[in-house]
Order: sequence, then structure tokens, then C-alpha cells
Amino acid sequence: MTGYYKKWFYPLVLPALILFAMVILIPFLLGILYSFTGWRGTYFAGGGEWYESFVGLQNYVKAFKNPKFMSSLWYTLRYTVVAVIAINAAGLALGLMVTGISKGSGAYRTIFFMPNLLGGLALGYIWQIIFNSLYTDLLFGPNGIFPVDFFSYMLQDQTKALFALVIMMVWQTAGYMMIVYVTGLNNIPGDLYEAAQIDGTTLWQRFKNITLPMLMPSITICVFLTLANSFKLLDQNIALTNGDFNTRMLAMQILRTTKDTTPPDYGLAQAQAVIFFIMIAIITLTQVTVTKKQEVEL
Amino acid sequence: MKKFTKLLSVICMLAVVISMFSACSKKNENPGSSSGSSSAGGNTAGSVKELYIYNSKGENAEQFTAMCKAYEQATGIKVRSFSIGSGQDHMETLRAEMQGAADAQPAIFTIQGLKELIEWKDSGAALDLSSVTDNTEFKALVDAIPEGLRLTTDGTNSYGIPYNVEGYGYIMDTQMLADLIDGDMQAAYNDLVFCSYEEFEAFVKAVDAYIKAPSAATVTLNGNTYTFKGQKTGLAENLTGVFAVAASEKWTYGDHMLNVAINAVFPNVAAANSATQEQLDQLKGPFSAFARALDLKTSYAAGDTAGAKRGNDFIVATNYGYDSTLQRFVDGKALFMKNGNWVAPQVSALDEEKASRLTFVPVKIPLTQEDIVAGDWTVEEFNSTIPVFVPMYYAINANKDTQTIAAAENFLIWLNTTEEGKRYVTEDFQFIPYNADPATTTLSNSLGQSILNFMKAGKTLSAPYNGAPASWGGDTVGLEIMEKYLTKETWTEEDYGSIADYAISKWKEMMNQ
Repeated sequence: MTGYYKKWFYPLVLPALILFAMVILIPFLLGILYSFTGWRGTYFAGGGEWYESFVGLQNYVKAFKNPKFMSSLWYTLRYTVVAVIAINAAGLALGLMVTGISKGSGAYRTIFFMPNLLGGLALGYIWQIIFNSLYTDLLFGPNGIFPVDFFSYMLQDQTKALFALVIMMVWQTAGYMMIVYVTGLNNIPGDLYEAAQIDGTTLWQRFKNITLPMLMPSITICVFLTLANSFKLLDQNIALTNGDFNTRMLAMQILRTTKDTTPPDYGLAQAQAVIFFIMIAIITLTQVTVTKKQEVEL
Repeated sequence: MKKFTKLLSVICMLAVVISMFSACSKKNENPGSSSGSSSAGGNTAGSVKELYIYNSKGENAEQFTAMCKAYEQATGIKVRSFSIGSGQDHMETLRAEMQGAADAQPAIFTIQGLKELIEWKDSGAALDLSSVTDNTEFKALVDAIPEGLRLTTDGTNSYGIPYNVEGYGYIMDTQMLADLIDGDMQAAYNDLVFCSYEEFEAFVKAVDAYIKAPSAATVTLNGNTYTFKGQKTGLAENLTGVFAVAASEKWTYGDHMLNVAINAVFPNVAAANSATQEQLDQLKGPFSAFARALDLKTSYAAGDTAGAKRGNDFIVATNYGYDSTLQRFVDGKALFMKNGNWVAPQVSALDEEKASRLTFVPVKIPLTQEDIVAGDWTVEEFNSTIPVFVPMYYAINANKDTQTIAAAENFLIWLNTTEEGKRYVTEDFQFIPYNADPATTTLSNSLGQSILNFMKAGKTLSAPYNGAPASWGGDTVGLEIMEKYLTKETWTEEDYGSIADYAISKWKEMMNQ
């Protein structure tokens, strides 16, 4: 069989390569090219061909000078920090819970995973109702059961909306991370815990010195996934607040750039997308290298 | 087994590659079939095999296709139309259609006003219709477009044939007015149209007082005194407020309502598009007046069981969104709803009888005579007019060959001048034709007829807000009003001023971007 794959490697890979090139690689490279031009969606400003419309780094300068871009970048960073911590803490807690019980863990796993099956837009609209009717009208609003200012009208304030988005995303993605953590937890040999118990360790010591180090491969994956997804969050942002009260995140900012001016500045939007790509690449690659170093080999 | 897997993999691979290439070639043959097929029908317009029309209104898709079929039958020219889905982003779809070879592009496409024109003018896709000289009938059609309705950047060029005209104001159920007031409803309605802002404000407050505690109070409209019925009867029984307000929909006050004020300084779109700093400063008065009128409107808004108050709940989409506001109006909880004649089919679907009784009352703002720079309106005249504008234009694609352009011209002539074409516009689309003669045209739809009446009297404003910078209206000014003011219970004189200042400074800032 190995001989077969060796012999047929290139023909077998070719269709996938062609597809990848056509729908990802070529558009990606074209996009980089467009970011240096005055591309307007259907034509190049100031010329018939792209090289006649070449503007150099002007779009990149414009992007960094654009207050909307900078504020959405800052907001995205703040959201990402909170969301990565919250989602992973919740996912790990759920994972510890379902591996800790002996009965019905399969059912719990399914239930916790289910919110993942909902699409981002639908989820955003559903949670809009939850934040307004349940959080505000029923529970935490001025006329609610336990009035708490922070949890009422959460979508009408920049900081509150950030936490509203985090609450929603934890609900949606913690179940997914839980599955990854459960796999990791199941791979930790039971004799390690047994030995530690004989030595008289506490629960916290076992968690800190056995579970966490042994779980590092799962943590690497989960942090990578949540980091990248938080940075790229779009649907939920649109459906929940639509960017009102300065809650526009980066992906949405790029999407709406073409609507901010007439004619639409696709070149500027593309420059923002390139910056966006580079940032995600740097952040996630750094994270993977750092967390990989923490992983222990048995 | 080994042989079989080998064979299978080769088949799979071929299937993928072939399907990929067939998908690509399909794209080429799709709209451009005009060049491929034989002489199916090119009898009048040379070798044109197919006229491709892009329609960015989803609501009349079915009727539009039927209209194209009718043209095909009448002339033998094959017409293919494409209407986008209702609520779909028409610009993104159109941009996708305008990529690539001219052959595949639509010959006629639709543009929503000057803001969108800039893009197609710059790209060279929009044909300047005023430059057409060889087709006298078409030239006559272009020349006859009333100046205020022309799609023009400088007043002389002309890039579109109007799709229809629309208008807006405070929509009111005439029966409800009859149930509120003793005496002649028609006279009361006329006086509501012509009364001053101050009288209108007093009327709004009187209706509000009547809702809370009905009494046979009197109110003066346009100098005439009217008495409320002593008790709540008929449609007046359900009232909870005077206005149905979609507070969470920022464009409803950031675009259309604001446009009334912009009319005081700019007579048309082109003027607003080339605004000077001095002209923008002149908007201070009109914008403050707009803020005052918006204060009145949002202070006497209808809720589900009682009047609505400004505050955090007011801007929640599930409470005061577009659809719930419409429902509140149809349920008779409010006397007025600021909206346009395009809402008629929706009202009709909820309550057909109500839809047949609707009419427009102008949106009034407390201007002073000095505020009105454009035109020679008096304040009273200005406040008895409604904005009537062209929401969309047919443009001809300049990239097409001359025969196709000629065919496109002939199609637009047919649509706008022949009896059959005009019948589709008024009866099937339920539109108000831009070239309608108000004296002879009657429309079956009550709101359309109301607009025709204003047109007949020459009491119409235009839509200069379309000349404001992109995303200035709803997304900037409307957003600011929603976030900072509609959440606030009382507004002060300073608030009126700061809304006006914000709107002006943002316009100045954004026009240079």
C-alpha cells in the first residue's frame, strides 16, 4: 500500500491542489495585489489596468489612520483576551465534570456540545432576545427580580456588550472545547493519579502537577482554536449588536468598509484584510510555539 | 483489490477535474448566450439575441418577469430579467454581474440614486443618456424627465430613466380621524395638511390628552376649530399614543425624516452633492427644527398597552423594531406612522380595509423663514409638502455593443410610453409612474393617490439626502440620535443644538473622505 501511495502521490494530490489554488491561493494572492491598488469592486480607480491604479502603501496608511479600524482592532483584542480565557476555563471545567461522573456522561457531553450546531446569525438573534427579555425584563433590569445594572441592557454599552458576546460565545463553543479536553483527560494514565494519591497529595496539587502538564497538547489546540475564532468573529457580532455602541469588531469593519464610502473602497478593505491575516498568523503562531514548549513527553 | 482501488482513484480524480472545468465553462456560457445561439429573434434590433435586464427590486420579481415576457411577445426580442431576492444586498450582486466580459453583463441595470451612480459613472458602465442623439424617441424621453427627478451629477448629464416615484410623510387612517373629531373629516384632514407646526404640536398634545382622558376638548387647525368626540368611539378606542415610532431603526429618522430638513437648504440631490461649507452651516436652523420635531414625535409614541417612553427599552429591536411598529399602527394604537407608500402592500396584508383608507399628512418641522434658503417656499407652504423622489433608475450599460444599447433604449421607450408598458407600471407593479400626469391619472392604491394629490398641487420636496456622504444619514447621525438621545427621557434646547452640530460636522468631515 505504501508503494501505491508513493507511486501515485502527485496524481492523487493534484485535484486537491488545483482546488486549493483556485479557491484559496489565487484569490489570496490577487487580494494582496488589490490591496496596493485603487480597486473599486468592478474597476480600478484612475486607470484601466491594475498597474495604472497602483497606489503603493497608501491603503495601509489609510487603514491605520482610520479611527473605525483602530477602534475595532482594540475592541477585538479586548474581546479575544476575555473570550479565550472564559471559553477555555468553561470548556475545561465541563470536561473535568463529564469525565468525573460515571453515569450519563454521554448525555451531558451531547447536551453541552449541541449549541455548536447552531449558526452564528441565528444564535445572535436568539441571544438578542435572551439579553433583552430574560436578562433585562425578567431578571436584572430595573424592574427585574434581582436588579443588577451590569446585566441589564447589556447590548447598549460597549463594555457590557463585550461581556454579552463572551457569555454567548462561551455557551456556543465551550462544548466543543470540552470534547477536545475530554479526549486529553482520558489519555492521562490513571496510575499517575494513583501514585500521587498514595503520596498524600491534595486535589489541587494533582490538578496542577498532573492534569495541567499532561493536558498541554489539548490546551495548545483549544487555545489556538479559540484565539483564531475570537479574532475572526463576524456573524455573532453582526447579529447581536450590528456594531452599534462602538462594538464593531475587525471582521465586520472589513466587511463594512465598502459601504462607508462611494464608490466602495475595496482596495482599503483588502489592505485591512491583509493586516488582519498577518496579525492572526503572528498571534496564533506565537501561541502555538509557546504552548508547545510546555508540553511534556512521557 | 489493488487494481480496483487504483481504478477508483483515477475515476474520482477525473471526476473532480472534469466537474471543475465544466463549472468554469458554464459560467462563460451563462448570460452571454447572446453570442452563441442562432438568429432566434433579432428582427428589429439588428443582431441582438437577448436583452439582459438586472432588476434590484425583489418585491416585484414575478410581475417584472411577466412584463419582460409581454415585451418579448410584442417585439420578438428575447428578454431575460434577473431580480434579486427581497432584502438581498443589491450592490454586491450587481457588482458580481458587472465583472468580466461585457457580453455577459446586463444591458439594463438599476441604480438607487446619485450615491450609487458615482461608482458606475467612474467605471464607465453607466451611459450618459443625454448623449444619445440618434434615437429621437429616446432623446425625447430623456429630455422630458422633470428636472427634480433627473439622475445627474451636474444638471446637464442624465444617467437614468426613473423606475417610479415614491413619497412619504405621516401615514394616517382617515377613519380614525373621523372617529376622533366631530364634524367634517375631510375638512379636518385638509386643515391638518395646511396647519402650522405650532398648531400641529398643539393637536398632537390634545390627542395625547384625549387618549389619557377623553373629553370634548377643542383644537385649532389652520384657523378652524374642531371638537373632539366626548367619548372614545370606533378606531379611537385602541389608541395608546399619537405616533408609531420604530425607534430601533436608525435610518427611519436618520434618512427620511432628516431629509425634510435638508430640503430647506438644498433643492435637489445634485446641489447637496456639491455642498459648500457655508451651505452646510445654513443647515443649523433646519436641523435644530428637525430635532425639535423628533422630540415631539418620540415624546408621544405609542406602546403596546400605554404610551411609550424614551429610554433603554425604547431602542430595543424586539420592542420598537420596524415590524412591531407597523403592527402597532395597523392595530390602531397610533394615529400617525412616518413611512412611505411602499408600505401599502404590507399594511394591506395585515388589514386590507385599513390600507384602503390611508393618506399622508406632511412631516412638519418648526422652521423660521430665514431657515429656508432653497426655493421660494414660505414656512407654511414648506410644512404642507411631502418629499417625492425617485428611489431607483434604469441605467444602460455603456460597455455593450451599439445594437444592444439601441435595443435597451427601445425597451425603455416601450415601458414608459406605450399603453401596455404603462399598464404594467401602474397596475402590476402598483407604482406611481414618474411621468404620470396627475390631472388624468388615478391610482387604485390610497397612499399612491394621496401622493398624486400632492403632486397635482405642486406640493412636493425632493430627496437631497441622497447627495450627502455615504453612510452619513442613518449609520452616523441616526446612530448618534439612537444611542445618545432616544435613551434619554427629556431633551433640552442644548440637545437640539448638539444634534444639529453633530450632523453638520460629520457631513463636513465625511465629504472629504
